[in-house]
Amino acid sequence: MIVKDEPYDAIVVGSGITGGWAAKELTEKGLRTLVVERGRHVEHGAGYVTESLQPWQLPHRGQGEPALYERDYPIQSKNYAFSEATRHFFVNDREHPYVTPDAKPFRWIRGYQLGGRSLIWGRASWRWSDLDFEANLRDGYGVDWPIRYADLAPWYAHVERFVGVSGERLGLPHLPDGEFLPPWEMNCAERAVQRGIERAFRGRHMTITRVANLTRPHLGRGPCQARNQCARGCSFSGYFSSLSATLPAARLTGRLTVVTDAIVHSVIYDEQRDRAVGVCVIDAKTKATREYFGRIIFLCASTLATAQILLNSQSARFPTGLANSSGEVGHNVMDHISKAGARGTVPGLEDKYVYGRRPTGTYIPRFRNLGRPGEAKVGFLRGYGIQAGASREGWARGADEPGLGVALKERLREPGPWQISLQGYGECLPRHENYVDLDPTRTDQWGIPLLRVNCAWGENERAVREDVKTQAAEMLEAAGCTSVETWDDDGPPGFSVHEMGTARMGKDPKTSVLNSHNQAHDVPNLFVTDGACMASTSCVNPSLTYMALTVRAVDHAVSELQRRNL
Amino acid sequence: MPRPDSPTADSPNAPRTIDRREALRRAALMLGGVISAPVIAGVLAGCQGRRHSGALSSEQLELVATIADHILPETDTPGARAVGVHQFVDAMLAEGYAGPDRARFIAGLADVDARARAACGRPFLECAREQQRTVLDHLDRETFARPARSAPPFFRTFKELTLVGYYTSEVGATRELRHAPVPGRYDGCVPLAQIGRTWAV
Repeated sequence: MIVKDEPYDAIVVGSGITGGWAAKELTEKGLRTLVVERGRHVEHGAGYVTESLQPWQLPHRGQGEPALYERDYPIQSKNYAFSEATRHFFVNDREHPYVTPDAKPFRWIRGYQLGGRSLIWGRASWRWSDLDFEANLRDGYGVDWPIRYADLAPWYAHVERFVGVSGERLGLPHLPDGEFLPPWEMNCAERAVQRGIERAFRGRHMTITRVANLTRPHLGRGPCQARNQCARGCSFSGYFSSLSATLPAARLTGRLTVVTDAIVHSVIYDEQRDRAVGVCVIDAKTKATREYFGRIIFLCASTLATAQILLNSQSARFPTGLANSSGEVGHNVMDHISKAGARGTVPGLEDKYVYGRRPTGTYIPRFRNLGRPGEAKVGFLRGYGIQAGASREGWARGADEPGLGVALKERLREPGPWQISLQGYGECLPRHENYVDLDPTRTDQWGIPLLRVNCAWGENERAVREDVKTQAAEMLEAAGCTSVETWDDDGPPGFSVHEMGTARMGKDPKTSVLNSHNQAHDVPNLFVTDGACMASTSCVNPSLTYMALTVRAVDHAVSELQRRNL
Repeated sequence: MPRPDSPTADSPNAPRTIDRREALRRAALMLGGVISAPVIAGVLAGCQGRRHSGALSSEQLELVATIADHILPETDTPGARAVGVHQFVDAMLAEGYAGPDRARFIAGLADVDARARAACGRPFLECAREQQRTVLDHLDRETFARPARSAPPFFRTFKELTLVGYYTSEVGATRELRHAPVPGRYDGCVPLAQIGRTWAV
């Protein structure tokens, strides 16, 4: 049975970090907005069922069940935020399959619930710079971004003012300062390493991560309680999520409607009007089909899911997928390289410790290929930043050393040495041959063709990875660390959960999917503002840029709607 | 050795003093490398504790309790037995691990008995406490003297499960160590004396 709802002014697909922002901005600008979320409803606060549980109150003391993970969560359980206390915010891999070639694993980390992955994100919040927006133009990979930093700067500010980003101003042109709450504090060991690195390497810095955790009360939210268990959900609203911030703001307008358990099968395109007119939805529980109609549509379903929806929205006008006259929908998949770096022991400071669990680490901003006179020549394009963190070893070290009895117990009462670890996050080049498409025969339990992901690192990413390890180790050694060693866990694409690029922005409709306002070249009332829109990756965490692009696109969409151009 | 980069913290680069998930990932490897067979239906998402039938016989349970109490004995705080470490080990074996891994662990327990027979002519539980300790001291030295193998040795697994079971118990976390469920703030450089002990979490 097909049930037709009244037309909405706007439909937003997805309630994660960009869907939440689209809902807030659209409703605050007066549009009656429907948010369609494929996952279950989660109530802010009450839905955070493990939030206050202590280790001894968790079914397996937080250790989880390896055999269950192997069977049902072989991909999700590899994510750093997955645990016994957060499993309910990750999908069951067995119930939500996708296809990868054997030789090209891709880790697609997903959270199907209201708020999406904004509940479990890493919260690092950096602005891009023109070093990033001009990168494709400079070296010829991908297509030139249709915007520059100046186009986005006011929208970054708009977003930061609402989110509440804590951080330190550095005055670096390639990592622009924003509007910050007070920064988190570096610990003693990090300060020692910071001094060592900055003394030994001119132009390199270590700063505290700019992060969407509130260091003081902000717009009725927070402050963060320094528990560092954000991915369980936070009833203090100590970190930014759709549930803590944007959806409540949208709800306040009285113009928001949310439907959950509603899987968007495709976008409905009306050939006569040459417009997207709604979405075809499958009820996740009953599998019944229904349609919702709206005047403008925002796809905020996440990079791969948005591509899947577009590719599955086929019509006579768009036989290979909606807004795909360029043939680029699904192509140019990117992620950041990570899971490689160096670690070591920070000597001394045995009489120092920390109080509280800081929800973030420190950061060494990009120092390669900045275009500075006299900088080192390196054998790769673009660059990387390094995330770092130091802490004293805890009781778990006891399992790696001989000894038992009273002496062991007494020893573990005191913390062990300070350890520091550095992990690079490197830029990935856009390449057409990294793509997703639809499986021609296999479908999921709702009859939607399975997504096939075909994505692998290239030479440049491998070269970046090698330099990360070498430089990380050199910096630790220069800072006086001992037992310095490099590490490399060889993470496949997807691991960084920064997947981007499947519906890229660009100037030319022949080579890109979206214009400078995230509006489909082919379908003017269709907008894509999640990671799919990205024409390159920069090396910094992307969420803040998705958010800024979303609010900018909404501003454009609403003014075009008012001018009756849509 | 647990490292601050290990993927347990809620932020990819948030430093953590301990690393329980990584510890258990390694425990899983220790228990036999590849975990293959599906073991149980999932526990309800969230906090519903659950009675389990257990993997160990009452004699094996007693053996585990006794060995664990040698590893972390009573001092001015209770020891491993008193906080029920053996029940945690039993639950992990029953619910978390596939049959072959469980069998490997139980074979390790039998080996402890065999060593006890060789050393004092009786099963481990019937040996005098000092003799038991001598058997375990030997096993401990042997375990950590050898270079790492593909399948980690039984006693390392045992020790790790004992530590996890103890320090994540309420007594272990709040009396033996220091625990602050809601710290409320972060201070990055305070005198150790002000905190006093290792943080539980």
